[in-house]
Amino acid sequence: MRLPAGVRRYAEHPFWQAVTILVVAYVVIVFVIPLLPGSALVPKSVVLQYMATVLVGVLIYVSDNEGRWHRFQDPIRAMLVERRLKLVRGGVLVAVTLLVGCFTLGQVRTTVSAPPNLRSIHPAPPADITFRGKAMTLTGLENPLRHEADSLAAHLALGKRVYYENCLPCHGDHLDGQGHYATAFNPLPANFQDNGTIAQLTESFVFWRIAKGGPGLPREGAPWNSAMPVWEDFLSEREIWSVILFLYDQTGWKPRTWETESGKGETGKEKGDG
Amino acid sequence: MVSGLLLLALRAAPFPIPHSPFPPQDTTRGKAVYVKWCAGCHGDKGAGDGPAASRMLPRPRDFTGAIYKVRTTASGQLPTDQDVLRSIDEGLPGTAMPAWKDRLSERERRDVLAYLKTFSAFFQDTSQHIVPLTFSKEPGGATSAVALKVGRQFYDSIGCWKCHGKAGRGDGPSAPTLKTDPGEPIFAADLHESWRFRGGAGTADIYRRLRTGLDGTPMPSFSDLIDQKFLTDEQLWRVAQYVRSLSPQRAPEVRDVIHAPRLPGGLPRSPDDSAWARVERYWFPLVGQVIRKPRWFAPAVAGVWVQAVHTADSLALRLEWDDRSESPDTPWLEFERRVLDHVTSDDSVPAPADLWPDGIAVQFPRSIPAGMERPYFLMGTATDPVYQWRWTSMPRQAVAGLARGLSRFDVLGGGSAPGAGARFADGQWRLVLTRALATADTANELQFEAGRAIPVAFFAWDGSNGEHDTRMAVSAWYFLALDQPTPPRVYLSPVVAMAVTLGLGMLVAVRAQRRAGAGGDGGGRSRA
Amino acid sequence: MRKFGSLAAVVAAVLVVALAAWTRQPAGNAQGGATVTGKVKFTGAKPTNPPIDMTEEPKCKAKYTTTPTRETVVVNPNGTLANVFVYVKSGLPASAKYETPKTAVLIDQDGCHYRPHVLGIMVGQTLEIKNSDGILHNIKAKGVKNRPFNISQPTTMTSTRTFSAPEVMVPLECNVHGWMQAYLGVLPHPFYAITGADGSFTIKGLPPGTYTIEAWHEKYATQTATVTIAGTESKTQDFTFAAK
Repeated sequence: MRLPAGVRRYAEHPFWQAVTILVVAYVVIVFVIPLLPGSALVPKSVVLQYMATVLVGVLIYVSDNEGRWHRFQDPIRAMLVERRLKLVRGGVLVAVTLLVGCFTLGQVRTTVSAPPNLRSIHPAPPADITFRGKAMTLTGLENPLRHEADSLAAHLALGKRVYYENCLPCHGDHLDGQGHYATAFNPLPANFQDNGTIAQLTESFVFWRIAKGGPGLPREGAPWNSAMPVWEDFLSEREIWSVILFLYDQTGWKPRTWETESGKGETGKEKGDG
Repeated sequence: MVSGLLLLALRAAPFPIPHSPFPPQDTTRGKAVYVKWCAGCHGDKGAGDGPAASRMLPRPRDFTGAIYKVRTTASGQLPTDQDVLRSIDEGLPGTAMPAWKDRLSERERRDVLAYLKTFSAFFQDTSQHIVPLTFSKEPGGATSAVALKVGRQFYDSIGCWKCHGKAGRGDGPSAPTLKTDPGEPIFAADLHESWRFRGGAGTADIYRRLRTGLDGTPMPSFSDLIDQKFLTDEQLWRVAQYVRSLSPQRAPEVRDVIHAPRLPGGLPRSPDDSAWARVERYWFPLVGQVIRKPRWFAPAVAGVWVQAVHTADSLALRLEWDDRSESPDTPWLEFERRVLDHVTSDDSVPAPADLWPDGIAVQFPRSIPAGMERPYFLMGTATDPVYQWRWTSMPRQAVAGLARGLSRFDVLGGGSAPGAGARFADGQWRLVLTRALATADTANELQFEAGRAIPVAFFAWDGSNGEHDTRMAVSAWYFLALDQPTPPRVYLSPVVAMAVTLGLGMLVAVRAQRRAGAGGDGGGRSRA
Repeated sequence: MRKFGSLAAVVAAVLVVALAAWTRQPAGNAQGGATVTGKVKFTGAKPTNPPIDMTEEPKCKAKYTTTPTRETVVVNPNGTLANVFVYVKSGLPASAKYETPKTAVLIDQDGCHYRPHVLGIMVGQTLEIKNSDGILHNIKAKGVKNRPFNISQPTTMTSTRTFSAPEVMVPLECNVHGWMQAYLGVLPHPFYAITGADGSFTIKGLPPGTYTIEAWHEKYATQTATVTIAGTESKTQDFTFAAK
């Protein structure tokens, strides 16, 4: 592609290249990315991070060789020095000053924001629980239904029914925590498709979370916010184990076993579909 | 019957035109996808009767009748493949149907479409011409006063208001009688919440729904009116533009903190006080209480708009929420009965329809928490109660009290009730609740303080929807902040920063100039 | 290969045209000269139809001197039942074809009522839907074998629709006025009648044969009778519905 000489002079100049890259990067991050399907607005802090990265890259590039570095500095120096650029100089000075002023004001003006919610997502489970008056030891506990290989299909069918009757409004059709009630709750319902939830947990942990719900969380789990019901009020032990089978079967994750737990081995990942 | 159909088919169209733009799909693969991801709601046989169905209003689609709401075809016609794919891809906002676009591959979505068409004999009948209507382009001037006036005029004259109400909140005189074809209760859409429109929120989407109707629901097609020259195509577009203008441009963003500015004058105690027009509105979505028995899967209040202001000594909250009836309201009894008949209940005996009032609750902790800990969001617990204001439409009053879980509410005595001013008009409640920032009962009543993040949550009941007690709509904890006026000293540091910047900048420029003047060849490689 | 393809296409086209011609064979030869007549009697206590509050529609209300009621059960002064759809359910030769009448069947929305309340139509015959009230009605056909439709009529106007499959009955309703209901029997033949003010019905032009005659009522469901007729004879077949 042949550019007119005037444009080419700018296109080949490291300073204007740097400016172009920064502007393009900003436009892409702020305006283009949100338009892509499945993306959202990029938060301001992230924009700042991205732009800082781009800036560092640009600086490395322009200072890479001596000649380019000098050429890069030329326009800046010219702006500072040359008589004919007096207006530009004044403009830049005022703009930078105002920017600093606004930024400082934004920093010092106190505005109340939501306090940080330092919640432990997977708090340590208790060793024992009481399920509907029955004592259960969670440590070493496995899903008893997994040993009933003959009736696994029936358990899964029951689990599916339990899920659709009860869990769907929050955890969603796709088990990704995006049910039609999800957005009204904070924290958002767990996303079972994510590799950070049931894929990291033993089935006994999942049983505990289902049976005792939000109110059964320890303090570090912020029990006051969780909308997870106490399912032992609704479901039998068998129903809960069934729905756990369904969660793993439907998402393709494998539960963490007590062997891997003690050996800190790999988490069971055998995910076929996306 | 089949032979009759066939004969007729032959008579009508000796040369059937293939209507599917896609090559024939393998329905075995589609079935696998369907069974795994769709059957839980839509049922194994596609009859819309999966295990989740009885806890949903609107119900999942019954594919056996091949009746689809969101189409580009005339009323009574089958949908095109694209129409059904669109509903699969984008989901149906305001219902439990999610957008599958990012959840299933394109192949899987195509396959499942092919499979769900096998549920209805209508799709097997290849004589059915599936031809989308031709839609014109939207005329310009969508938001001009003239366009909206024309739109409003036809909104009235073609009778939209009969179901959707004078102001469009789904509260028209025929609204309480509305049913779907299978007899389920159905709300006329609240036209102020376009982000919940099943077929999309855009003006073109609305125009298409006007042209095609929503089959299986009381919403008819208005295409005949254009054919019969009762109104022009452009005028129908104006109706769509008018309807679009009733909702915000975008779905409201949920923000964590309600900022209550400090007002210099008196507190606006009436919901119609002009002072409210200048105060920011915050939207909080509400969903069914599905945590404690008996749960409620069909809440009618989708959310509440909240505004807050304060003065030196008092606080006012203005709550606005769309509610189709000023409950208790006898015409809605039949509707309520249908709702209760159609939604599975945790009670062994379904609750009878009754004349319940409307209500709203605003919840705070008893004191502003120092750390992140606060009471249980769902109305506290026996040992850690929450401080609530509860307002009801009958008797029309607000009380303050302590909720100790869902089943216990102890009203506080001694003039503790917040001030309340309520209006109901055109399918909307507007309520202002006021209270002094500080009170005598510091143990039970929250003492409001400026500059702090005060947890707040909301609950709503629509009596005409059978809502009372635990059958309600709930929110999570959010925050209320009484903003302090910015003291002048705050402006000092920006001024200092600016002065320093300006000084440094000038210094740099002067030094560069000096060097250039002295060095000659040093830095001043200027190409003049 | 290509030759064969075009040959197949030609054969297929000929077949289709032949089939189409065959289905359009002239009617009339299927008609006969026999008649089935009768009365639909009603026993038991005459139920009262619920009154309709038309306050919302002053234009409709003005058409009545007394409070209008629904038409669920209309018992005639002579003790017979009106609005019963009587039709030949089975017994006609399978190959018999009947010409679709050129005349339309009319349903009028008048005084926020459908007139008539029960009507019959042949497959493919035009249904004229008239709005004499000049206020907003929508007419919704809730067929199961026929595609449903739902059209708006906010003014004095007439729309037309046809039905493609036999179905007894297709309910018609207006959602603006929940009380407005009508029932449309769609048949592949013209052998039907609806009882009127004297509770009688006459089905004419039947060819000789043995028929199942069904009487359908909105509230009291259906009753059937078997009638054998020969030549041009006229037979009487009465039905009796009892109050529930």
